[in-house]
Amino acid sequence: MLEATPATDHALMLAVRNGRLEAMGELFERHHGALFGFLFKLLGERTAAEDVAQIVFERMLKYRHTYREEGHFAAWMYHMARRCAADQARRSARAPAATDPAQLDATDNFQPAAAELAAARDDRVLLQAALDKLEPADREVLLLSRLQELSFAEVAAIMECSAGAARVRAHRAMQALRAHFFQLQQKVAS
Amino acid sequence: MKCEAVQERMMEWMDGRVAPDLANELKAHVDVCPGCQAELAATRRFANLLDRPPIAAPSSALRQRVFASIAQEMTGASAPAPRTDRPRPVRTWRTFFPLLQGLGACALLAGGYWLGARRSNPVAASAAPSPSAPATQQQVAEIRQQLGQLVGYTLDQQQHSSTDQRLQAVLRTAAQPNADQNVIDGLITALAMDPCVNVRLSAVQALYAHASREDVRTAISVSLPREPSPLVQLAMIDFLTAAQDRAAVPVLTKLSSTADDPSVKDAAGRALAQLEPSHF
Repeated sequence: MLEATPATDHALMLAVRNGRLEAMGELFERHHGALFGFLFKLLGERTAAEDVAQIVFERMLKYRHTYREEGHFAAWMYHMARRCAADQARRSARAPAATDPAQLDATDNFQPAAAELAAARDDRVLLQAALDKLEPADREVLLLSRLQELSFAEVAAIMECSAGAARVRAHRAMQALRAHFFQLQQKVAS
Repeated sequence: MKCEAVQERMMEWMDGRVAPDLANELKAHVDVCPGCQAELAATRRFANLLDRPPIAAPSSALRQRVFASIAQEMTGASAPAPRTDRPRPVRTWRTFFPLLQGLGACALLAGGYWLGARRSNPVAASAAPSPSAPATQQQVAEIRQQLGQLVGYTLDQQQHSSTDQRLQAVLRTAAQPNADQNVIDGLITALAMDPCVNVRLSAVQALYAHASREDVRTAISVSLPREPSPLVQLAMIDFLTAAQDRAAVPVLTKLSSTADDPSVKDAAGRALAQLEPSHF
């Protein structure tokens, strides 16, 4: 027996736009993992990544009428994600650092210290630390360029630059990332 | 091609995202260029590292919050159009808070069930919220703190009472025709969020005593399209018909064409014939 073909992201988002809001649940299940991963690597902090992921889904619901017939869902979602993450970064830069006592024992927030790096000896920990050292725009273009759902033209549209500029920037960001990574690795080794 | 131009295209080439002609050109260069071979190996290593999942995974609270937002947006998007034949009573946010809570919980329950049914991925299934998850308990505590006075049928009761106890609680309220606002809020909450069909059915029956109240009829209209059980949907349609609630016409019209269950579709059509005979 033939199974029904799953609806595309685009079809689901058009359904949301046309009032079938429950279709956003399926889009959440399909994309929240990758979106959270992107935001975590971008912001370097779990709570912020979750908050922004939630805001992205809420904004997609709120601004569903702006989704176009010829749209590409992933590009639209990551475009919103980039904006929301920038807002979050601005807010956190302005806000005084607060400590929630309930969070003191939690391991949610990623703040690698030298000792932690040495203990972890995990490439992913080093990679996140290296990512945090990149310029925000470099980090954005590099992470966006790794999303297989997006073409470089779409990455460029999200970054509001030409495809060529996005390509060059991503390449340089990759080289900078490697340099930071090896520096951190040497620091840990010593 | 120069090395720099080749290296700028490496990520796309590695991912198979360049045209065949360009891929051949890049390969021809790399095959004879040790510098670009080293660059390709390094790029591949770091691309693989970047593609790995992050150190942390999203918590189940994210799913809960997003599904609650969807439920809330659905409530706002599909609420019946205002009636013009009589003045509307003033409603505060508190009137519908139990219903919003309920719709959020329903969305979570439906989401969890739907995930389990649709996906065999054990990781995804285990991430679905459970009523006893610490995050859920924390949210219950927060909601209770915010309201300060959740009485009657509460989220806490749903978590800690047996189905029989909840059913008895609902049935007891049916014997109170002069029930206060808290009891009615409790019934509406039970209707919107209780996982047991019998409890929800009993809540509909108990609400008959309050069918003259517009907020009760509106609550049933709003819950109707999201109710997963056809049995309860039929009871709700009967309620709205008996209450002669013409404000439910848009919801019934939609249901009469989109309901999955044929008996619900037919019942919605019959209800429309009674409420809007001029349309038939």
